[in-house]
Amino acid sequence: MPLKRYTTSVDGTIPVPALLYEDEALLTSQDNVGIYDGQQKAPHHQAGTIYATTHRLFYIDVAHPLSRSFSLDLAHVARTEHYAGLFTSSPKVTLYLHPLPPKPEAPTQIGLVDQPPSSLAPDGLQFWECEVCSNRNPIGLTSSASMVCALCGVPRSSVKASIDMPSRRAPLVSHSLSTSLPSSSLNLSASLGLGKLSLSNSAAPSPPAASHSSSDEVACSACTFLNSPLLRECEICGTPLPRKPTLSFSSEPHPPAKSAPASRSATPAPVDEDSDEDTDSPEKRMIRLSFRKGGDKPFYSVLRRSLLGKAWESKQVAKPLASASRGIGISGILRTVETTAYASQTNMEDALADLEALMIKWKDMVKLAQDLNERLTAASTVAQPLVTPGIGLPSSPSASGLSAAAPGAASRQVVEPEEATFIRSSLAQLGLQMANAPVTQDMVHDERKWYEELAKELAGILEGTGKGGEGMMRKRGIIALDEVWGGWNRARGVALIPPATFLQVLPHLPNFTLPPIRMRTFAASGLSVLHTPPYGSATFASRLVGVLTLVGPRTTIEIAQEEDLPIGLTQEMLDEVEMDGETCRDDGGSGVALFASRTGSASTSADAWAANGGGEVRYWINIFRGYVWDGQE
Amino acid sequence: MNMTLAPYTLPSGFVLPSIHSGPPFFTQQPNPNSRKIATDNWTRLLLSYARHKKLFVLRAEDVDVPNCEWEEVLSNPRIGRKIRAAHLAAILAHMVTSGQAVYDPPNQTSAVLLYWRSPEEWAQVLHDWASSTGQLNTIMTFYEIVEPPVPSPLSGLPFPILRKAITVLTKSNRAQIIAVADGEGVRFLSGQPGR
Repeated sequence: MPLKRYTTSVDGTIPVPALLYEDEALLTSQDNVGIYDGQQKAPHHQAGTIYATTHRLFYIDVAHPLSRSFSLDLAHVARTEHYAGLFTSSPKVTLYLHPLPPKPEAPTQIGLVDQPPSSLAPDGLQFWECEVCSNRNPIGLTSSASMVCALCGVPRSSVKASIDMPSRRAPLVSHSLSTSLPSSSLNLSASLGLGKLSLSNSAAPSPPAASHSSSDEVACSACTFLNSPLLRECEICGTPLPRKPTLSFSSEPHPPAKSAPASRSATPAPVDEDSDEDTDSPEKRMIRLSFRKGGDKPFYSVLRRSLLGKAWESKQVAKPLASASRGIGISGILRTVETTAYASQTNMEDALADLEALMIKWKDMVKLAQDLNERLTAASTVAQPLVTPGIGLPSSPSASGLSAAAPGAASRQVVEPEEATFIRSSLAQLGLQMANAPVTQDMVHDERKWYEELAKELAGILEGTGKGGEGMMRKRGIIALDEVWGGWNRARGVALIPPATFLQVLPHLPNFTLPPIRMRTFAASGLSVLHTPPYGSATFASRLVGVLTLVGPRTTIEIAQEEDLPIGLTQEMLDEVEMDGETCRDDGGSGVALFASRTGSASTSADAWAANGGGEVRYWINIFRGYVWDGQE
Repeated sequence: MNMTLAPYTLPSGFVLPSIHSGPPFFTQQPNPNSRKIATDNWTRLLLSYARHKKLFVLRAEDVDVPNCEWEEVLSNPRIGRKIRAAHLAAILAHMVTSGQAVYDPPNQTSAVLLYWRSPEEWAQVLHDWASSTGQLNTIMTFYEIVEPPVPSPLSGLPFPILRKAITVLTKSNRAQIIAVADGEGVRFLSGQPGR
């Protein structure tokens, strides 16, 4: 029957994730599932949970997880069928299985029989030893992966190993390769034979013999101690015990009783199985999963994906390569580094392929630009007599009317200059401006327009357009240049204005601001500001002199408060006014305290004031200007 | 604050100019024009005060010497201002440059002899004094000139100025320097009238 032939029993008391191979992943699960063995219900597998992994299908029985659970390699599945269910009939998934290759049948059966139901559980404790590097490889990988030593990557040749340690090796090998890999199973059968040979030659009582004795005890292959059948390792020496089906287990066989005679033990090829093989038909090579409580559709889709993924096949194919790159040891590390470097270089080359193409082409591009430029120059010198009067006449090229005059001239002329300008400016913007390219009137006109547009934009930011709300200078009459530049670029967000351009825009600014905003640079510090007329040099000076005349000398801080300006900025402005000769200063002189104390009671209000203001500069109107000597002659 | 400044007459009778009551006068002005005006006025003030009090020596450190003879000018207690030594030194330097003073002793820049009369003027004063007191053609030591028994305009005149004045007279043949036992002597001649 298919269930028995294709499945491997597992210990269902262990959580499924722990049963997985290292490269195996749990995909989904569904409870309340029953199994059909062929066309009939499998009587012992009617209530359990089905798990689908990348490699296998697990059935964990609810009532008897220890004895009735099994796993099925998805590699056996040829195709699947989904049945949605009708009335009382549950939805079902039918798995049609490949016919088993006849040759490995024998060892496979041995493996199956050799294993107690809980065979997979001790897997983690069992190893095979690599003959090259003596690394003890855990059997935590799927069968294909476990064929290669994890450390040195040498494929496992089981013959020699099994000869070396026959008693332990043979059963391990056989069960770990129980259901797959015809090539290695050929080796297996041979190794098994050899193992048996050496066993029979040895003086120690052979485990099969021990198991055939009526007692349940298992003889240790190393020290011959008779262990309890429940133990997996020898109680005395710790050697893993050969696994033999014992009476207690065989009394409750996991395959259907009908096709599982209790007597079948070490016999290589049971006759009834062979006969089953002969009469193998599609009906006999199918297993059905009956979803008693639904959940069939998601499970089926996951299962199909897993089958399509063929994780077991890809592993087999990719293994040699993967193990090579994953190699362990110094050479492995070196290879990993090499592989990583190669991969990153490949990525890099792919990414930079375009750039390289551009680099190869740049000479052509520059040459093209040069040719274009020369041709344009030639064309414009021909057209020059026509163009010049149009541009030269209208107004002085410096200040106003440029925007109006120049385009008019250009459009009045042939279309060519306009295009030439465009091409030239495009080239310039690409950084392909030639050293010998003349800065033509057209070019200048174009740049002026650009600067004027920028000035308009800046004016909007400073004064606040209708939509923009408050401008930067709405409340302040004077603002430092760096702040304007930063604010403007923040407002632009993209295509930021370089400082050089910014400075070239500023002279155009008064034309677009209603109280004209001008730039002013303080000579002393080089600080540049934008200011409205009230903060112009002359206006501020006259205002300051007025204040000083009216209310007397003032300190910088007092003036800053009155003008509502930063102190540093006020200082700059005061310095400038002073340099213009409008004011002079009084820094309190020295020895004020001396005088205050010496004059004592005679101190006047002036003394007190002087003491207060001592050390701090007070600005006076210029008392020196126009002074005529009025002292002693 | 009353911004109108007025001249002030000291108890000694010296009239301080109105600008002396302006605090900025005591501050070194950064504006070159203002500074020049201030310096010129300081120079004039110092020289006229020196003439008034017959003072010849002025040191920059005098600013910080209490009860110094220059105190009335270098400070103004009524507005609580006093000129700074550095400022005064700058003014003195300007005076030396313009020939209104000379550093004395020579190789330093803090003390000056004030030329509130130029050496030529002093020479004239000296000769007039000599002729008016009948000292022509007699040999006199320097001490007899600057410390006469009867106070004269030349009383207290520093030797360097006296020597310069005599040098001026020598050039016009109105005086003759003669070495005497205890230093130098001078014989005043009648000069032009005698020629």
